[in-house]
Amino acid sequence: MSVAERVPAPSVVLPVSGLLVAVAAWWALTVALAIPPYLLPSPAAVAARLAGNPDLYLANAVTTLRKILIGGAAGIASGFTIALVVWAVPVLERALYPYLVALRVLPKIAVAPVFLIYFGVGFETAIVFVALIVFFPVVVGTAAGLDRTPASHLDLLRSVDADPVRTFFAVRLPHALPDVFAGVKQSVTLAVVGAVVAEWILSNDGLGSLVLVASENVQVDVMLAALVVLLGMGLLLYGGVSLCYRAVAWQ
Amino acid sequence: MISVENLSVTYGDLRALDDVSIDIGDGEFVTVVGPSGCGKTTLLRTIGGLESPTAGRVRVDGDPPEAAQSNARLGFVFQDHTLLPWKTALENVTFLRRMAGKDPDPEGARDLLATTGLDGFEDTRPAELSGGMKQRVAIARAIHLGADVLLMDEPFGELDEITRDEMSVEILRLWRENRKTVVFVTHSVPEAVFLGDRCLVVSGAGTADGSGTGNGTPGRIVGEFDIDLPRPRDESVFGSEAFGRQVARVRGSLHDDA
Repeated sequence: MSVAERVPAPSVVLPVSGLLVAVAAWWALTVALAIPPYLLPSPAAVAARLAGNPDLYLANAVTTLRKILIGGAAGIASGFTIALVVWAVPVLERALYPYLVALRVLPKIAVAPVFLIYFGVGFETAIVFVALIVFFPVVVGTAAGLDRTPASHLDLLRSVDADPVRTFFAVRLPHALPDVFAGVKQSVTLAVVGAVVAEWILSNDGLGSLVLVASENVQVDVMLAALVVLLGMGLLLYGGVSLCYRAVAWQ
Repeated sequence: MISVENLSVTYGDLRALDDVSIDIGDGEFVTVVGPSGCGKTTLLRTIGGLESPTAGRVRVDGDPPEAAQSNARLGFVFQDHTLLPWKTALENVTFLRRMAGKDPDPEGARDLLATTGLDGFEDTRPAELSGGMKQRVAIARAIHLGADVLLMDEPFGELDEITRDEMSVEILRLWRENRKTVVFVTHSVPEAVFLGDRCLVVSGAGTADGSGTGNGTPGRIVGEFDIDLPRPRDESVFGSEAFGRQVARVRGSLHDDA
């Protein structure tokens, strides 16, 4: 075995090196310029914050994660279902689909204060908000994917008088999966955004709220620690969806 | 086996086929040749029940094509191989039979793949197969379906010439071994002559694929040739004088009309 084969692939080595260099530069900057910790704490200070009170970050992370997972699942499931129904009923498709697409343009974050009035502060309101944000990419992805099946494949199944339901599961749905998952990947990223915004406006707990409170108290190290946890969570979720996709996809 | 009576097919203002009548016997290999957009694909699709006649009728063994579809008696092979990219070669062969609701026969599918020269490629996905191999799988799929009639729409149209010739010899061998009725559409005159017991020449313009303007002549059968080259035929036929004469005769009929 040659040396080149033993060394991990550059696809791993280079990004990790990039991260290390960035963190080192941040650290060097805080030391060299003697930046006061209340403006920009060193990486070590942020790490010390995380290590000093892990329960605080863990508890808040769990609170935020619950919103992301429950709201995200609800939004993805309802987006997929609605896209399916709209796609299957041509009248609905013609009547509704343009508006479903147009609604993507609406900044959903601006809807949060409206939710506050109708549903009040609380976990459920936050869930509904996350679901709403997650909903649209899945609708658009699913609707696009279901039309992706080549006409010749449908001809083939028609030539043996195949049952439409079996045709759907055997051919249409697998052809749609890449687009459905493209939507779900966008949705997962948006779910994290949605949960944080919900925690600012609609629920007053979790990592989002922690960032906000720390900002009001000018605790930059707490803010950065919370952001690091959020970033890690977002990456794990995104990676999880990518793995799911690889398990079911054919491309 | 197949009877087409006074068939006309119209799409809006476009007459794709006009008053076409054909009789095809059990086990016969009939080729249909003509230029692009002459209506030959429409003819094949109507025989297979994928298009509806505007006038006239089609019968497959006495039944309308829809009934033949339900009994899985029609095996299509398209120019586009239509293999499912997420399934292996073997799964693609068995897939259509399963969708048709017939009893599975995995051993039969394996044997068939082996006889089509795909031994060892059972678990390979289409992306890793060559164009010729993909069409072999598609042909195996149609035979494995257990159809009596193979409807082939320019199945070698996207293959290079050398592979095409190989596939032509191959399809004749499979036809000999499986005793199917074959309707084979192509725009290659030599291919049509090499393969067919009988070669139908279709001519026309202004048809459904947009190649005409709608005021051209609709697709009609302008020539019919019995190909009396001896069987079994192999590559040596391509160089024979009799083959050259037949090709010239069929070509002549195409250009008379145009």
